[in-house]
Amino acid sequence: MTTAAYSVEELMACVVSRELRDGELGFIGLGTGGRAFVMAVGIPTVAIRLAQLRGVDFIAQYGVKLEPLIEEAPACFTDADLLDWRCRAMIPVEDALDMFRRGMMDWGFVSGAQIDPYGNLNSVCIGEQKHPKVRLVGAIAQTDHCAHARHTMIILPHDRRAFVERVDFISGLGFGDGPGYRERFQHRGGGPGKVVTTLAVLGFNEKTRRMQVESLHPGVTRGEVERNTGFALAFPDPIPTTPTPTDEEVQLIRTRIDPKGLFLQAKVR
Amino acid sequence: MTLRDAVAQIKDGDTVAVGGHTLRRHPMAIIHEIIRQGRRNLKLMGWNSGIDMDMLIGAGCVASVETSYIGISAFGLALNFRRAAEGGSLKVIEHSETTGIDMFRATAMGMSFFPTKTPLGSDLMQANEHLAEVICPFTGERYAAVKAARPDVAILHAHTADQYGNVQLDLQRWHDNSVDAILAKAARTVLVTVEQIVSDEEVLRNALLTVLPRTFVTAVIEAPYGAHPTACDHRYDYDLEEVGKYYEASKSGDAFKGYLEERVLGPADHWAYLDAIGLERLMALTRQRVVR
Repeated sequence: MTTAAYSVEELMACVVSRELRDGELGFIGLGTGGRAFVMAVGIPTVAIRLAQLRGVDFIAQYGVKLEPLIEEAPACFTDADLLDWRCRAMIPVEDALDMFRRGMMDWGFVSGAQIDPYGNLNSVCIGEQKHPKVRLVGAIAQTDHCAHARHTMIILPHDRRAFVERVDFISGLGFGDGPGYRERFQHRGGGPGKVVTTLAVLGFNEKTRRMQVESLHPGVTRGEVERNTGFALAFPDPIPTTPTPTDEEVQLIRTRIDPKGLFLQAKVR
Repeated sequence: MTLRDAVAQIKDGDTVAVGGHTLRRHPMAIIHEIIRQGRRNLKLMGWNSGIDMDMLIGAGCVASVETSYIGISAFGLALNFRRAAEGGSLKVIEHSETTGIDMFRATAMGMSFFPTKTPLGSDLMQANEHLAEVICPFTGERYAAVKAARPDVAILHAHTADQYGNVQLDLQRWHDNSVDAILAKAARTVLVTVEQIVSDEEVLRNALLTVLPRTFVTAVIEAPYGAHPTACDHRYDYDLEEVGKYYEASKSGDAFKGYLEERVLGPADHWAYLDAIGLERLMALTRQRVVR
C-alpha cells in the first residue's frame, strides 16, 4: 500500500498499466500539446513503461516509430530530436497504419472532444458538419483506432462538455447506437474497452453497450461524476475505489520513467 | 525552371495535393508563390495537414479541403480554417488518416478505388462523397470504397534532386512523409522544390535515396529552406517563433492580411522571403548542414 502522495495523472497511468498484457501491441499518436498531450501520449507512455518494468513484454508503436527507449525521450519533440530518439524500427506511415487494418493492434490509445454513452468519439466539429459552431481538427487516425484495435483505451479529462448524450459527429465509432451496431459492419476491432478519466474508471455493459462506472478514484463522489457527465451512468453497488499507485510505482515514475515531467506534466517542448 | 514559372502551371479551380505532415516538410515556398500569383478556388487534398492549408485558406485561395486533420500542432486549432469552415464558405470533405492516403494509393496503383473497412459505421461515410459501400465478392464482407484521387497538381518539398528531376530524400527522414511519393504518383503535374539540386554523379552514386524517379516528376526547383517555417527532417527544425507569430496573426482576418503582406506578398520571391526571415535565424534552426 502507498503512503506517498500521487497525482491523478500518476493514478491514471497505473490504472492503464494494469490492463496491458504480455505480447500485446499498442499505438500512440504523436503531435498534440498541453493537456491533450498528457491524455493521448503521456499517460499511455508511462503506463506502458510501468508494465514493461513489471516484466510485461508490451510493444509500443508511436506512429512510424516502434519501441523507442522511453527513458531516453528527448525534452524537445522537434523532428531532428525525434529522429535521433533511439528505437527498434521506423517504418513508412502507410505500413504503420496498415497494422491497424490487419487487426494486429491490441490497444489503440485515443482521446476526443466529445464522447457519448456508447463510446462514440468526435474530433471533427461541434454542431453541424457543413456549418459548425466550432470546427475542430478532424478525424485523424481516431477512425482507424476505433474500427480496428482489439480494444480502445479512451483517456479523457472528465468534463460535462465532453461527456454528452449524443456526439455531434462520429469520427471514432464506439458501439454506435447500441447492441448490434458495430457487428453489422463486421469490424475486426472490438470497440471501446475502458474509459479512464480524471475522476473514474468506466467500462461498457455487455448487453446494453452503455458506459458504466467501474470504480471512482479515491476521494471522488458519485455526485461529482454525475455532475460532470451529460448522460445517465450506471453505478455498481457498492462502488469500488480505484486502486491507488503503490510506493514502488510512484518511485519508478518519478525517478526512472518520467523524472523531468515530460509525459505527465507535458514539459516536453 | 523558376518557382514563378512552375507555379504558373497551377490554374484557378485545380485540385492540388499538398505534401508534408502536421508541421513537417510542407512545400511552403510553393504555397507562398501560389498566394503571390493569386490563385482562386483551389480544391486542396492531403492526408494530414496544417499551416500549409491554413495559409492558403486565409489568403482566399481555397474552395474545398479534403484531408483528415488541419491543425497547428501544439499551438492548437488552425484559425483561418476554423473561420472559413464555421462561416460556411469552405467545403470540408472528411477523411481518416488512412482513407486520406488510400485515395492517392488507389491512383498510384492504377485502380479506381481502394477498399477499406475503416470508415464503416462512422459519419465519415456521410461527410465524404468519395466514400461508398461495396461488398467483397469473395467473402460477402462489407467494405468502404475510397474513390481514387487524380489531383491536377501535386506540390512537394524534398531534400535533393538532379537536373533531370530524380527526387531524393536523405536516409535520416521522418517516415510520415512517405506519403509524399504516393501523392506524386497520383497527380497529373508534379512540382517539387528541393533544398539543393545536386550533380548527376551524386544521384548515380546514391540511387537508393531516389524516392521519385524523374518519370513521375514535372519540375524540380531549388528552394533552400523551402519548407520554412515547417521542419525539414534532420536538416532544420520548425521555426516556433515564426509559427507563433503566424498563429497570433491568424486570430483575426485583418491581422492575418498584415501577416501575408509582410511575409508573402511583400517579398518578391522565395529569396526575398529568406532575407526577411534572416540568415541568423535560419542558421539557428539548422541542425545538420548537408551539402552534397
